[in-house]
Amino acid sequence: MIQTDHLSKWYGRVAAVKDLNLYVRRGTILGLVGENGAGKTTTLSILATLTTPTSGRAYVNGYEVSRQPQGVRRSIGYMPDSFGVYDDIRVEEYLTFYAECYRVPRRLTQARCKEYLDWVGLWEHRDKYVNNLSRGMQQRLEIARCLMHDPPVLILDEPTSGLDPRSRIEVRGVLAKLRELGKTMLISSHILHELSEVADEIGILRGGELVALAALDVVLSHSSAYRSLWVEATADVRTWARLLEGDPRVLDYRVEPDGVELSFAGTVEQQADLLARLVRSGLAVRQFAERPTDLEALYLRLTEQREAT
Amino acid sequence: MLRNPLLLKEFRQRMRTWRAPFVICGYFCAMFAFTLFLLHENVQGQLTLLLPSRSEQVFVTLSLVQLLVAAFLAPAFAAGAISGERERRTLVVLLSTPLSALGILIGKILSSSALLALLLAVSLPLYSLVFLFGGAVPGEVVAVFAFQLFTLVLIAAISVCWSTLALRSGWSTVVSYATVAVMVVLTGVLGYGLQLVAAHDPVEYFLVIWGKCLLELNPLWVEAALAGAVPASPHAWLWFALAYSSVCCILAVPSVLRLRPQALSFLPWRPRAEERDYH
Repeated sequence: MIQTDHLSKWYGRVAAVKDLNLYVRRGTILGLVGENGAGKTTTLSILATLTTPTSGRAYVNGYEVSRQPQGVRRSIGYMPDSFGVYDDIRVEEYLTFYAECYRVPRRLTQARCKEYLDWVGLWEHRDKYVNNLSRGMQQRLEIARCLMHDPPVLILDEPTSGLDPRSRIEVRGVLAKLRELGKTMLISSHILHELSEVADEIGILRGGELVALAALDVVLSHSSAYRSLWVEATADVRTWARLLEGDPRVLDYRVEPDGVELSFAGTVEQQADLLARLVRSGLAVRQFAERPTDLEALYLRLTEQREAT
Repeated sequence: MLRNPLLLKEFRQRMRTWRAPFVICGYFCAMFAFTLFLLHENVQGQLTLLLPSRSEQVFVTLSLVQLLVAAFLAPAFAAGAISGERERRTLVVLLSTPLSALGILIGKILSSSALLALLLAVSLPLYSLVFLFGGAVPGEVVAVFAFQLFTLVLIAAISVCWSTLALRSGWSTVVSYATVAVMVVLTGVLGYGLQLVAAHDPVEYFLVIWGKCLLELNPLWVEAALAGAVPASPHAWLWFALAYSSVCCILAVPSVLRLRPQALSFLPWRPRAEERDYH
């Protein structure tokens, strides 16, 4: 449904996207993760036909973005990371305007307005001016706008950026509901746990390159290659933390006031050995627990590995 | 064309507030007062009101003032049409829709000139006062009105193109007003000056031709010619229309490429568009 083939975009001597190969199957949701400047927005912008690639090809719903942009535009609902709204236009009129841009028949426009405004929880606000809505409401309205022409593909660039926690939860609720529609989606975000709630697959971008692309459960299982452990003891933390040095399975550790957080690359048995060694050295261990490894930690690990190589 | 979404949105947004009728009524009243003043000045101290030759002056003055108002107000409406969308960050969403670049430009041209066209239309009844006193024939009124509409759309088109090419509304406004100044002031001053020089030295045929060409690029001169107030070739408006339509077409090409960098993707030697920071 969405495919990029050695896609690159250069701005002068700076590569925004480098040799990107992506494939998103019909009905699946790919979450694209990366820090600022990683190339997420440029990739999405190319797929939305707003930016022309320097080399390589990209296809959306069977249309090539550079040569068949009209086909692509009809197939996608695109929500940019930063957007504005018109003044003096009401919520329902806003959706009607974009429906007209997509040449949605008038008999369908009203029904879809009702359906999607209801869906994003804005039907009661249909007569309000768009510029008077809160940012979270505008974000939900944008999602409704993306759905007005019933596209098979949705491209959402940082749909929760710049929102307060409450609005973020509301928009996340809408994103979770989008799964029910069975549309193919490409969502970018730098808030990783949001994507873990929505996406089927995760792609990690860094410096315009794809560092990792796999199904969410595969990505998470990879993260089990190392564990994050939390150790607390009664003695002064600075004195006993040195005991961890020289252990090849301890990748790194961070000393905090109450204890030590360490990355441990080893089996459960080896983990038990570490605990036994600490106890044998006379340390009164108060807590020795495994912390869940989240996507953030995995992301940092993968991108650091990439940097090292 | 009337189903252009941008035009429909403009009507929805602009025409429902009290501002639009207020502006239209205000303009009509001002023009009505101005027409009465002209007529009063024309008949002051005369025994008779029926002086067709002087009423013709009223008609010409009224139509020239209308054209001048339209020419200097059009950039105010059109110069921020695209750059304003860009500054409000609504352009990126608009460009992700299947609207063609030409569709967007035409929609913006029509929507930005709609209110001014309405102002010109509502002041048409004022010409009936001029008919009352003689001096103008309906054919001239129709020609003058059509020319005013054409000039209005022309200036709006040039301003919308500048608005597409310039990154900021401030710049597009400056360039649009500079264009109007060239059209209205520079061509008039230079053309008239050359003709004056040529009048003293009729052997200089070059000056006569250039003076005539420049004056025929001046909308006020062409309109005065259509109203029969100045001597000009019968098809002076044709040269005006061709020249400025060419300017519009030339400006439209980079404007389309600016909006839709893929527009020339079918060419093997297509120019590389640098669209960074545009959206």
